[in-house]
Amino acid sequence: MKSVNIESRVVCVIPAGWGMEAAEGALAAAQAVTRSEHKFDVLVVGEARDDGINRMAFRAGAQIVNAVELKGLAGHSADELASGLGQLLAGAGSNGEDLLFLTPPGPEGEELAAGMASYLKGQAVGRCQAIRLTDDGITATRSVWGGRKTLLLEVKSAPTFACLRAGKPELSDEPGTAVCHELEAEVVPFSTVSVDAEETGESLPPVESCKLVVSGGRGVGEDGFGLLEQIARKAKGTLGGSLPAVDAGMVPVVRQVGISGKFVNPALYFAVGISGTPQHLAGIGTEARIVAINKDPEAPIFSVAEVGVVGEWQELLPEVLEALEA
Amino acid sequence: MNILVLLAGVADNRYPLHEITLTANSALEEVGQTRRILSPFDEGALELALKLRDKNEEVRIDALVMGGVNADTLAKSVAAYKPDSLKILNLEPFRLWDAVLSAGQISSYVKSSGLKPDLIFVGREFGDLDEGSIPIVLAGELGLPYFSLTQFCEWKGSDVRLMRERGMRREWMTVTGGCLATVTNDKRNKLRHPLMKNVMMAKRQTIESVVQSVADEGQMLAKELSEPEVVARTGHCEMLAGSPREQAQALARYLKQATA
Repeated sequence: MKSVNIESRVVCVIPAGWGMEAAEGALAAAQAVTRSEHKFDVLVVGEARDDGINRMAFRAGAQIVNAVELKGLAGHSADELASGLGQLLAGAGSNGEDLLFLTPPGPEGEELAAGMASYLKGQAVGRCQAIRLTDDGITATRSVWGGRKTLLLEVKSAPTFACLRAGKPELSDEPGTAVCHELEAEVVPFSTVSVDAEETGESLPPVESCKLVVSGGRGVGEDGFGLLEQIARKAKGTLGGSLPAVDAGMVPVVRQVGISGKFVNPALYFAVGISGTPQHLAGIGTEARIVAINKDPEAPIFSVAEVGVVGEWQELLPEVLEALEA
Repeated sequence: MNILVLLAGVADNRYPLHEITLTANSALEEVGQTRRILSPFDEGALELALKLRDKNEEVRIDALVMGGVNADTLAKSVAAYKPDSLKILNLEPFRLWDAVLSAGQISSYVKSSGLKPDLIFVGREFGDLDEGSIPIVLAGELGLPYFSLTQFCEWKGSDVRLMRERGMRREWMTVTGGCLATVTNDKRNKLRHPLMKNVMMAKRQTIESVVQSVADEGQMLAKELSEPEVVARTGHCEMLAGSPREQAQALARYLKQATA
């Protein structure tokens, strides 16, 4: 099997099938870890090479871009990619000693990182707030106890697999000077699991790709979420919710915004009955404008919102809907 | 069918966090009034197992509750749901931030205990110190395929089907030859309330504790435990004045502008 070409300590893993946002997230993480030196290599993996992602990697300052076409994968889910990449790296005799592999931030990226760690007998550091390279290893900062404590970890050896959310990458106007290394590899399909798929019939767009997210907390209740959905449809936005609202069954888990849910970066985040815990705010991009309704004038959401109303949702939401319909 | 449910528990976020310190040898010391409960993900894992047993008397549920502070009370809350077996598993060293070490310990216990699970349910995050890596690495240690973020399960004939939703797709997996399923919170897997008589019986029950020790300290040491940084973000919030109707009209203008 032809070997991947890796010379830097940091390797950015980009599944081509996950789209440009995932690629941006992974590249931004690599830049954040390597700081101004930007010495990192990239593995773009997919069934077909993606020149758009390769070019972005060059402009982000990658030293070497490995464009890997994995033959034999049925799809591009995290478990399949972890299996394919594990076979590729182990089969090429490259177990990645002392390397840090960064996967795209988000639940699928975290799953990929853990899966690769399992295949390659490395360390699964998971979702980090910060990562630093040291002379003899890596340190990683993680949020623990539901965001109420921060833990600094020292990884002593072995390849390390992690995710870091660092926004968008800085891209040079120049095309970059990276070497593109193209290779194909046959891998054994991840065939023990057979998944059948069907359309959900969901007509609202996903939370992570909509300009307007209309989001509620548990206090809004079933009736409130009914109004929020109508508002989202009328304003051409989509519906989101906090973890307690998901726990209470008011909104599906695929619409959960927060540290253990989806990360969203809409033009506007309309937060109704959401107090604004650090765990929830960690799921909202810093570029998003927040407009909030809460009956508690001391709610932390007002310290991060651009516009706010202190009031009862029962009174305000029907009026908002009427104003949208006018 | 043998179902193993792994339950980690979390500190109850309705109360201030108890005192936790990190010792020089990378161990955690938790003191004070500790309130540890099942997380929403733990609850989902337990409920899915109970649902399958409701429909098939041949289902056996084995439950393992992670040791640590207040483990006995936590385990008794699980005992009220009448699993067929229940033990507290103490990991030594106890370092749930180290997914590889912890998954290896749990895997060693499962292999040596005589438990032969056809299906393992575990919350998508395993306790307060894991962000989702332990279940994935554990599947690898046990040589099992995994199905992540399960929201629902059902019998289809003699097979179990697991379901998750991703974007606009609903995905189903039929369990054949063993599987580890991570479970996420969903209205279809909200944990039922136990019968009061079972709660009372569980309170009197003695829960067996077992220990899984390894000499290896792992490759990931905790060096510092600190308070989280405050989110550095201020919106300079403009509070809208006027009547509710006027406020609503102003809000509607913001919403329209966002997608204009």
